[in-house]
Amino acid sequence: MNVEIVLECRGISHWFGSNRVLFDINLKIIRGEIVSLVGPSGCGKSTLLRAIIGTHPPCKGEVIMTSSVSGDARTVDGPGRDRGIVYQNYSLFPFLTARENVAIGLMLDQTSLAFRMFHFFKWRNLRKEHLVQADALLETLKLGKALHLYPHEMSGGMRQRVAIAQALIMKPEILLLDEPFGALDEATREELQKMLLTLYSENCAAKGRGEPPPYTIFIVTHELNEAIYVGDRIVALSQYWNWKEAGLKTSPGATIVYDKMAPVYLPEQARDFETFLSQRHKIRQTAFEPDQPVDRNENIQFWDEIKAGMGHGVLQ
Amino acid sequence: MIRRPIQKKWRLLLGVLSVMILLLLYTLVSYVQHLRNPQDSTIPAWSQLKDGVHKIIEINPRSDERWIVVDSKATAYRLFLGLFYGIAGAVILGLMMGCFSVFESLLAPPLSLLAKIPPTAALAVFFVMVGTDTNMFVAMITFGILPTLAQSVYLSVKEVHEEMLFKAYTLGASQTELVWNIIFQQIAPKIIDAVRLQIGPAMVYLIAAEMVVGDVGFGYRIRLQSRLLNMNVVYPYLTLLAAFGFAMDYLLRVIQRAGFAWYVNEK
Repeated sequence: MNVEIVLECRGISHWFGSNRVLFDINLKIIRGEIVSLVGPSGCGKSTLLRAIIGTHPPCKGEVIMTSSVSGDARTVDGPGRDRGIVYQNYSLFPFLTARENVAIGLMLDQTSLAFRMFHFFKWRNLRKEHLVQADALLETLKLGKALHLYPHEMSGGMRQRVAIAQALIMKPEILLLDEPFGALDEATREELQKMLLTLYSENCAAKGRGEPPPYTIFIVTHELNEAIYVGDRIVALSQYWNWKEAGLKTSPGATIVYDKMAPVYLPEQARDFETFLSQRHKIRQTAFEPDQPVDRNENIQFWDEIKAGMGHGVLQ
Repeated sequence: MIRRPIQKKWRLLLGVLSVMILLLLYTLVSYVQHLRNPQDSTIPAWSQLKDGVHKIIEINPRSDERWIVVDSKATAYRLFLGLFYGIAGAVILGLMMGCFSVFESLLAPPLSLLAKIPPTAALAVFFVMVGTDTNMFVAMITFGILPTLAQSVYLSVKEVHEEMLFKAYTLGASQTELVWNIIFQQIAPKIIDAVRLQIGPAMVYLIAAEMVVGDVGFGYRIRLQSRLLNMNVVYPYLTLLAAFGFAMDYLLRVIQRAGFAWYVNEK
């Protein structure tokens, strides 16, 4: 199948002094995928995410983004509007209402401080358009009632929805989610997972029409069920691999030890965690067992699966 | 029970009652003092206080001016100018320190040292540097409140979560937009809080300076009249100062509530 790569991590290694965190991370993300990243705590998931965002460049290796408009590939050298991010907390600006929070991206991206000061009337008209766009997006995400609420007046679930809208309005090449639902209760969590699946089903529909899928999502989570349910691909990062057999004396840091497809769900489809059992077990065995180091290439099967035509959803 | 709320009318009544008791006690003490010495002016009776107030608001035959007008004008002008420079300087320095590590390491140590020097003790320094006219009072207030205020601005900038800054970058914010549209908007209500706490010290510094080198102003008048034991002039002046401080504080709170509802309600 003909795949279009959005983001590529090429040979990323990272260390803080003598503390080795990441070792030789290679990862290519296809446009339209939802990739789940899991791993034991302290394995460097956040470090990898920061390298992708560009705030903390890796010590070695590079992150390459490909534009959907021009098709140009470019090495990431700092945070940019092509990579949207939603954190567990602190994604929304507390001094703005929901619609202002969503519209601020358009403002920051399309206008400059000088323009807003010296072309006040032009800016005021543009601002109205921005707010209309923001309202429309919030309506589609079922947040019509929250337009004028400040973050402290919203529930945790609403906040994360608005935060996702805030990132999506920029039409980023890839949406990065850092433990986005970690602080939510189970029912809200499921609602938001379904919201991601709705975005995924739009991807499938676009693919069916022969258009490029609009949403590519990279979600970091510590919840294996969530990873399997939401993602169409699971990547596991782990420091427990057999680096001793690779001839290294000290741990070189975590690397990718698992990369496989995951079942594709539609938002209205009933989910059954029982069916996840064998995959969950395998991930646990591969990435979460300190005492049983594994061969790091043994469970990297995603690209073989693609070649074998095993994919569903946008990977079909 | 601890923290059990009481009815609003009771709260009001108790508040009024406490002030009444205070006034009553004053009347009593003054009465006893006047029994001992009918000429006493240290704890003036209400009638003496009335004379004092007249002295303050009527045209003074010697200077041809009303004390209240000349003193208020001079003191308010010095205070507002000093506050203005102090706040402006503190906001700029605090933002620079909070945003850029170079300024942080450059300015944080001297500021924390300067914040420990009581400005009233350094009066002579200002005296030597800028002379004895308005500038000296303004400098006194400005440099009196600036170190502390700059430190609180700096700390509130530091409190802005870095993830929020990264977020703004991914939305296409430039460096200046980040400082103005994200950081400043977020710390503005906290600056108001910090300014509220500095109104008192600013008044202390100004009054102290006026007492030492002033030829007009609240501090000058209070010092002069206390030397003459004219407490019937001193007490009304103190009341005015209290009212002024209270009004400033109230005004700042109104501004905060009107402009930064998200902050007030979040707390």
